[in-house]
Amino acid sequence: MHIPSKDLAPPYLGGLILNQDSCLDVRNNPGADSTTGNVRKVAFMNRRRFFQVAGAAGAALMASPRRMTSVLAASSSTRELVRFPEKTEMILLTDRPPQLETPIHYFRQDLTPNEAFFVRWHLEGIPTSVDLRTFRLNISGHVRQPLQLSVDDLRSQFESVSLIAVNQCSGNSRSFFEPRVPGGQWKHGAVGNAKWSGVPLKSILDRAQVKSGAVDVSFNGLDAPPLPSVSDFVKALSIDHARDGEVMIAYAMNDHALPMVNGFPIRLIVPGWYGTYWVKALSDITVLPQAFSNFWTDKAYRIPSGPNGTESPKNLAKDTIPINRFNVRSIFVRPDPDETLRRGMPTEIEGIAFDAGHGIRRAEVSTDGGATWADTRLDPEIGKYSWRRWRAAWTPRSRGQYRLMARATNAIGETQSKEQWNRSGFMWNVIQQVDVRVQ
Amino acid sequence: MVPKKKSTVLALGLAALVAGCGHPSNVSKEADHSITNARMSDNPVHTIVMPHDEPVFPPGPGRDEFVTACVVCHSPRYITMQPRFSRSTWLSEVKKMKDVYGAHISDEQVPKITDYLVSINGKRDSGQAPKGIYGE
Repeated sequence: MHIPSKDLAPPYLGGLILNQDSCLDVRNNPGADSTTGNVRKVAFMNRRRFFQVAGAAGAALMASPRRMTSVLAASSSTRELVRFPEKTEMILLTDRPPQLETPIHYFRQDLTPNEAFFVRWHLEGIPTSVDLRTFRLNISGHVRQPLQLSVDDLRSQFESVSLIAVNQCSGNSRSFFEPRVPGGQWKHGAVGNAKWSGVPLKSILDRAQVKSGAVDVSFNGLDAPPLPSVSDFVKALSIDHARDGEVMIAYAMNDHALPMVNGFPIRLIVPGWYGTYWVKALSDITVLPQAFSNFWTDKAYRIPSGPNGTESPKNLAKDTIPINRFNVRSIFVRPDPDETLRRGMPTEIEGIAFDAGHGIRRAEVSTDGGATWADTRLDPEIGKYSWRRWRAAWTPRSRGQYRLMARATNAIGETQSKEQWNRSGFMWNVIQQVDVRVQ
Repeated sequence: MVPKKKSTVLALGLAALVAGCGHPSNVSKEADHSITNARMSDNPVHTIVMPHDEPVFPPGPGRDEFVTACVVCHSPRYITMQPRFSRSTWLSEVKKMKDVYGAHISDEQVPKITDYLVSINGKRDSGQAPKGIYGE
């Protein structure tokens, strides 16, 4: 699809257009090195300038790093890379409010770099400036001791904890549902794994002295609706969940401050639960003596109540429930989709798998479209809420087209779907297929 | 010496922060870390400047309504990001925005905006397109 663009956009606004042609350009250049500088330069140019350079000085483009191929190959249609403040080149879904997807090659690292971690906001009014001298986290409602805590208070007055946990958008992989559904058209990159450091929510609620009869705890951030008629983005957890000792308020991500677009200065961490609950730029916690109710829980982010949130397009589920824990899924990180491999050459197949915290116990791959399956080697667990890496060696013996598949199973025997659909495009965990060619 | 050193660090941190804010795309990896350090220790105010680069949609019937009612709250990329949808799906999206999300769209504007969206990113009605409901 053609997206008209302003010709006079400032230089940093232009995106790198990705398509199969440029993919081949990169691939066919055996001398491509892995510096990122050239990619940055390309990405800074506006589109017109990019094409001028691409045409006149192809050699400069050829210097794009090899790792870019995964992004290029993953794009079945044109997708654009952009840089937002404090972020590296990300796949652009939308710019206002921003939705930015992580290129898959970053998942070859156990911890997703902050600058590459996916971004998803709901409302146009996202925070762009925070003064730590005046910022306070307010705890109020059904408590004996309302609190106003600065980030320094959180750091100095509470014991710090760290946890490695996957955060995944409810709609990750939405673009694979058939029939297609409206919403953020993510491929598999609306997910990331990070080390979160901060304060257990329980410690803060205990200091605020929750009164008896508390039911829910709601969480609001600094983001604001563009019109008074639009619902503010507020989410809630049950009081028991909020006090489970694992839900955390994080002030650090991979030992650094959070990027602004990932929730600076603090965000909620809800291990094993979908990202919709991980409220960014968290500013207000309200303890409630009744069930929380608003648009974002009553009407949005709901799934069919049946198994794995699945329903049929022709027979929509009547009962829906709020989306909650991750199901089991795995994602290929190697080889790249559509990659051409060499006959007789040993190849490492690699992927990540995760669930809601029971732990991945098995990951299998098929190289014949699911006819036969073989166990992979699992890397050591680095946390129950972290993803777990799996690897398998494969030496294709003959030329031709191969369909690779991967499926993970967790400690309680849950595994991935063969088919799945729901109206909102949530919780995709269909066994992934990657087609590769062997020459 | 200590105060001097501290002020140097602050100055460097601020310089990095200013560079990062004014030219968001030009922040090097090193500058990113300086920003992190600056805001963690010395500079209490952290600010970014969001890029502004939105597609401009072509003229056509309904474009004015689309711009006033839709683009006021979000980028036109919310349209171009989607696959080509049938008129019934776009209609349900417009109604969802009006009735559920609280967009200021009058009843008269609904079909105009829908037709414009179909002209931009539509396909023929298959009759079995799912109703879009609160897709996030």
